[in-house]
Amino acid sequence: MNKFFNKLGMLSQKLGGQIHLRSLRDAFASLIPFIIIAGLMIFFNYVVIEPTGFMSKVVNSATLTNWQDVGTSITNGTLNFLAILLAGACAYHLALNRKFENPIAPTLLAISIFVIMLPFITTVTPVGAKEAVQVAGVISFGSTNSGGMFVGIIAAILSTEFFMWLSKNEKLKINIGGESVPPAVTKSFNVLIPIMITILTFAIVSFAIKQLFGTDINSLILKTIQRPLVGLVTSLPGFIILMLLSNLLFAIGIHPGGVIAPIMDPVLYTTMNENMIAFSQGQPIPNIINMAFKDTFGVMGGSGNTIALLIAIFLFSKRKDYRDIAKLSTAPGIFNINEPVIFGLPIVFDLTLMIPFVLASPICLTAAYFVTKIGLMSPVVIQTPWTTPPVLSGFLATGGDWRASVFQIIMIGLTVLLYIPFLKVAEKKAVE
Amino acid sequence: MKKILLVCNAGMSTSILVQKMKKVAEQKSIEVTIEAMPSTDLSQFWQSSDVILIGPQIGFMKDSIKETVENKIPVEVINMVDYGRMNADKVLALAIDLIK
Repeated sequence: MNKFFNKLGMLSQKLGGQIHLRSLRDAFASLIPFIIIAGLMIFFNYVVIEPTGFMSKVVNSATLTNWQDVGTSITNGTLNFLAILLAGACAYHLALNRKFENPIAPTLLAISIFVIMLPFITTVTPVGAKEAVQVAGVISFGSTNSGGMFVGIIAAILSTEFFMWLSKNEKLKINIGGESVPPAVTKSFNVLIPIMITILTFAIVSFAIKQLFGTDINSLILKTIQRPLVGLVTSLPGFIILMLLSNLLFAIGIHPGGVIAPIMDPVLYTTMNENMIAFSQGQPIPNIINMAFKDTFGVMGGSGNTIALLIAIFLFSKRKDYRDIAKLSTAPGIFNINEPVIFGLPIVFDLTLMIPFVLASPICLTAAYFVTKIGLMSPVVIQTPWTTPPVLSGFLATGGDWRASVFQIIMIGLTVLLYIPFLKVAEKKAVE
Repeated sequence: MKKILLVCNAGMSTSILVQKMKKVAEQKSIEVTIEAMPSTDLSQFWQSSDVILIGPQIGFMKDSIKETVENKIPVEVINMVDYGRMNADKVLALAIDLIK
């Protein structure tokens, strides 16, 4: 058992230190505010001021539709533009993590490359028309929102690496010499040739792929990488296995954020994005499993749904130190922060408490999946901040479905029952 | 004034500990600045600090964090139990020890 844990620890260290995964994670962290404001606006637009909703009794529906413009413009600049933001952020963080002295160059470069790789002809449906037409000179949101996420990541990583490799080459630096030249000027000349070569290379490769495969590079990445990966991670078995692994890591004191998240998050944000866009357009919701789904039903009070463990301790524990830790952990626990209970109780390396800790989230998530699937509660369509307290989070994330809150309460109750027997064994062991 | 930086995954749980450490520092009239930060921000903002303490949950990132700060300032992992039980006293003592 110890050997296994050690191996897992080593693996985490490798993954956590891997520079591309780390940069991807840093990039997503800087995008979160944009995703959250989009989530808030979609909730506001299509739940609070929905023209056919409860507000239409107070305000004229046409006025409400008009007001929705504010939210729509925000969605356009955030969700519908996420792939481009992601490309820039990814390149910036990769350059920073590689300690490249001029990170703005690869950032701009990645955005430029992203657009270079876009198809020339876009199929759009004009407002009011029934049939789609092909137009040139337009970038469609379809390629810059969730549909372009992996294109953004790949474009950023490849172009940044290629560019930084070229930049190291002294021969490609233009020497304008002289000590009187300001460093900023030298810097801009140093990147001149590498930027040109990178742009040219990507344009030619993109052209070649179009000629060879008869399809643009975006559709190719979407079909061969994004769709299969999304399908795998957001299939119920794939997702549950990753959640089990994630909580197992936490149970041995390793935060999965640096290890599993770089693999899961791009996918979960992609399906989240698709859902938010579908919800805002009144279309059927494509995905059950997404980012906020995981947080809403699998991170209640923190990983392992430890809000239930706190309740179990308050109800049944006779140990003073357990109760003290539970008290200390309550306030952060309401906001889904549970390091105090994980390390203070501790759950880590406690072979008894580890079992319910690892199982709780996968059980609740599986139940939530099926309850959503048979239509007893609405799918999760809004990205809420992960610190949103449970019960409230269910209501918000599902676009205002109270049944999700009720379901959360039921699951917390069942999870309390799951924790109780293990808690009693842990207490006995501690007394001996 | 010396600056202590606490780092964890999202900068949330460390911020709770930072609050407690600030109180302890005040009581003992130790003049320090203490701040919490998510590990994702570290590469941009570590420069002004004198010591970095990392939450045990990202203890596995110690080596890569050392690399980020170019080994210029001490980096240490906070003891699991001290972290969980928020023993601000001990954590502050550890930080001050490392600065010396």
